[in-house]
Amino acid sequence: MSEEPSSCPAPTNAEPTATRSTAPMWIVVTTLALLFLGFVFFDKHSGWFDAKIYAPYSSAEQLEAFQPKSGAAAAAAQGKKVYEAVCGICHGVDGMGKPGQAPPLSGSEWVLAKGINRLAHIPLAGVSGTLMVEGKEWNLNMAAMGAALPDADLAAVLTYMRNAWGNKAGEVTADDIKKIRSEMKGGQPMSGEQMMKMPE
Amino acid sequence: MKNGFAVFFAVVVVLGGSWLGFVVAPALQLGKAKQATILNSTDTWPQQRTGEATLGLQIYRANGCAACHTEQIRQDGVAAEVTLTGLGNSKPDDLKAFVHSLFVLPELAKLTNDLATTLKDWKGDLPTTILTTGDKAVADAFADRLKAAGAKSETRVVATGADLPRWGVRRSVAADYLYDFPVQLGGLRVGPDLANVGARLPDANWQLLHLYAPKLSVTNSAMPSFKFLFDVRKMGSAPASDALNLPPAFAPAAGYEVVPKLEAKELVAYLLSLRADAPLYEAPFSPVTSAKP
Repeated sequence: MSEEPSSCPAPTNAEPTATRSTAPMWIVVTTLALLFLGFVFFDKHSGWFDAKIYAPYSSAEQLEAFQPKSGAAAAAAQGKKVYEAVCGICHGVDGMGKPGQAPPLSGSEWVLAKGINRLAHIPLAGVSGTLMVEGKEWNLNMAAMGAALPDADLAAVLTYMRNAWGNKAGEVTADDIKKIRSEMKGGQPMSGEQMMKMPE
Repeated sequence: MKNGFAVFFAVVVVLGGSWLGFVVAPALQLGKAKQATILNSTDTWPQQRTGEATLGLQIYRANGCAACHTEQIRQDGVAAEVTLTGLGNSKPDDLKAFVHSLFVLPELAKLTNDLATTLKDWKGDLPTTILTTGDKAVADAFADRLKAAGAKSETRVVATGADLPRWGVRRSVAADYLYDFPVQLGGLRVGPDLANVGARLPDANWQLLHLYAPKLSVTNSAMPSFKFLFDVRKMGSAPASDALNLPPAFAPAAGYEVVPKLEAKELVAYLLSLRADAPLYEAPFSPVTSAKP
């Protein structure tokens, strides 16, 4: 005795049609979770889509921490920056000075002196009266341009002058400036002759 | 069509999504890029190319240089180096003992082996790099301790990776390409990377000789000769001022000389304008400065 399978579909002549079914919940949840994790990853590894932050740096803090802030290069750069802002207007960014305005610093015996006592007094106290530079007499007044600068900045700018434009002389440290500042009496602007009386 | 709207919608989402991701987002990020400022300096980066070098970019493009050369230096990581520059009043042995006494610090736990190896053979010569670490905070803390002990040190930031220091000092950044049109990134390195070639090989004469006869300076070079960028012409009473100074094996027949055409000069001007050697905020490193006077 034979039995017809009860689940056999009824034959039909109709064309097959595509139907729409709801997406399973787990796909929706997984997609949202992946999207969320993706955004968290981007946030963590690109400083919230910052154009400057990408591998090997993963955050603004990390990039900031690796900025070189010390060392000879930074000091020289700081000196150049201060020079161009404060001194360069009269003495020229090339250190050549300006006729009738300011004497040159490039090759100047005041800048290249062995000791920095007289050199440091010029920005700290100012100049009034005659001053001989490279065999030429200058009769001009200079205000105490460096009196308001921090020790480190003044040291950096003096170091820069002593080593820029072909100059070659020793380094000036913030401690040197601190010492000279504390020993300075009165701080009145001086002429070249008065300065020559001071120790070098 | 059944579900026509759904298909259309899906296409719009896919194409629109890619357009947003690959066109709009980068344009928002870098579309208004301006010159960057070099670290610890007031100078801007990069400088606009000279006219000659700008024309040279088109020669570079026309000759398909980008097929074998890339202009992108990659960087895998970054390290902080503590370099000892002065000992103060202490002797080398005192400093060694002091550093050994720091080995108990938890932040130095992973570095003690390196430190011990470095210090073992050190006889007091300065400057010397004693610590290299990927963690800037550890390097700074170590430098502070050295300072407290009276020694002078400098913390340097160094870019690391397989491309460095072979081809450059830091990774290529978006600002480097500010004046390139079209950007010649390249994707295949048959030849070396050229992103920093202007700083690596700054001799224009060397570049001209290399274009004329690559095997002259690099014996096993795979680069074809770009002889067609040069004129071989009969010499006048004296060689021209810009004639190449070639060794006999590569020289033309007697009485002839090789002079670069305008294209060769422009291409070399472009090559020499390719530099990636200034420290920028997004790619910091400590430049090497000449020794103090």
